[in-house]
Amino acid sequence: MKILIADDESLARDRIAYLLKEINPDYQQVEASNGLETIEQVNEEEPDVVLMDIRMPGMGGLEAAQHLMTIENPPAIIFTTAYDEYALQAFESQAVDYLLKPIRKERLEKALGHCSKLNKLQLEQLGQQNPETAHRTHISTQIRGTILLIPVKDICCFLADHKYISIQYNKDGEMAETIIEDTLKSLEEEFSSVFMRIHRNALIRKDKIEALEKKDDGRILLKLKKLPEGFEVSRRHLPSVRKLMKS
Amino acid sequence: MPKITDYPRLNKANKIKNDPEQNSLFIPDFCALKMVFAVVVIGELLAIVLTISPLRMDKQRWDDLAILSLFVQWNGLMCSSALCVLRPIFKHYSNRFVAISSYLIILLIIVVLSELTFYIVEQYYLFEAISFASHWEFLLHNLLIGGIISALALRYFYVQHQWRMKVQAESCTKLQLLQARIRPHFLFNSMNSIASLTRTRPEVAERMTEDLAELFRMLFREDHEMIIWSRELTLCEHYIDIEKQRLGERLKIEWKISNIPDDALVPALILQPLLENAIFHGIEPEIDGGRIAVMGEFNHNQLIITVENTNSKNLIHRQGNKMALANIEERLKAHYHGKASIVCHEKNDVYFAIVAMPYLTKDER
Repeated sequence: MKILIADDESLARDRIAYLLKEINPDYQQVEASNGLETIEQVNEEEPDVVLMDIRMPGMGGLEAAQHLMTIENPPAIIFTTAYDEYALQAFESQAVDYLLKPIRKERLEKALGHCSKLNKLQLEQLGQQNPETAHRTHISTQIRGTILLIPVKDICCFLADHKYISIQYNKDGEMAETIIEDTLKSLEEEFSSVFMRIHRNALIRKDKIEALEKKDDGRILLKLKKLPEGFEVSRRHLPSVRKLMKS
Repeated sequence: MPKITDYPRLNKANKIKNDPEQNSLFIPDFCALKMVFAVVVIGELLAIVLTISPLRMDKQRWDDLAILSLFVQWNGLMCSSALCVLRPIFKHYSNRFVAISSYLIILLIIVVLSELTFYIVEQYYLFEAISFASHWEFLLHNLLIGGIISALALRYFYVQHQWRMKVQAESCTKLQLLQARIRPHFLFNSMNSIASLTRTRPEVAERMTEDLAELFRMLFREDHEMIIWSRELTLCEHYIDIEKQRLGERLKIEWKISNIPDDALVPALILQPLLENAIFHGIEPEIDGGRIAVMGEFNHNQLIITVENTNSKNLIHRQGNKMALANIEERLKAHYHGKASIVCHEKNDVYFAIVAMPYLTKDER
């Protein structure tokens, strides 16, 4: 069995590592010190179990788990925490595996013995109950079995296109495009603090808005910073766009 | 006077502190069966008092009691059902507003019911036995009795509510006080670090246990105690040592303490929550950590301590322990009676917390 230990504190990782070694010297161990590294390691090493700390810098454990769930054969996830009122309540109510630090060897052994795979519903519930994970820091998509992460801060817009959503984002200074499976409605709800709806099929990053442009055929286009083409604004959403630009 | 600039963390703290009084309504739930029963019983007692109060003896008394009971119960139950219906609306207003408006509503109900009774009795010549006085006398009489009784009742509910709030506050303050001063996270994370170090570096684990013991010994002391500055500084260094074991290179700290007299007294562990906040908001959310600087100056007979930290640029700001700053403010107020202050502000992604305290020594206290 291959186990990934995800924790930002090296002392915490060390301790889990030697406990695992005592339980079974044949376990293969990999380590990660934050959410992003965890995803990278899962892509590369394909572990069977992830021992995931909830509080990690950059990307926390709950969000990392959400991204891991998108791959075809996600690893089982056991959350670890020293003290977390909100999370513990959520874990209890969703019957999710978790371990309290300092972890007891017997508990760890037992958890590894019958860890179950998380499902999407459980994770959604966990996210809602935790006030610290208001929205994801990254959007994930799958490319040939591995997870590709796009930082939300680099995304300019979400455009609905038939069944899929296309994302235009800034990749190392250049614009790139990728496709995810989601709905504009749920994205709008999750990222309402950063993005706004300007059309039935478009969510636009608020701080990228530059100017409104009226076309000869009566359509109104919204220009974004550093993007050549404009995005059509529908009549219904025009007042809210104007209001935002004024403020 | 303690002065606070607009910083969301602190504003929230103040709001939370005041919330319990604002949010709880002093009027009990009149929809509850127990309350309905109480209203009926008290109404009946009032009817009896009103019947026997005039000093006369005749058989008519029983008839009087029956009619009075009917009238009093009618009033009582109408008033309590009005309060029952209005309760969800009252919840959004202050207790002062609720008290005034519910009193006026009760008086209004009494006027309406009196008028209605007068009309019915006059129209149908009921209860001839009762000789009604003039219309106005009847109304005034009822209004006066109703006004006095309902004022007493509201006052009673208010006092009872205050008493309940006090009991509630006393039972949770001890725990809250402790949590305002140190996060439970810190204790459990430190335990985990010690558990890990016990095998690999026992001597570090040993020192960490000593540091932790010293910190908690100070925390469990009485709130009003003051310690000398050099001791406070040592305790803060112990605290940082513990966190450094856990966070490693991510925690960079700089101490710039100049010319503060060693014998100066400060409230015990007044700085530790500021360091804790700095770690929580500035160091932990960042992969590469951050920098904390503690500066101490002695100026115009005042100790000025500044804790500054790089604020996390992370997209999601962590929800903090909102009580810490409010707690420091309160402790400063208690120790220095308005002569000390804490000011917080943020500039270019650096967060500052500045505490200014007058210079006190053991002899002056």
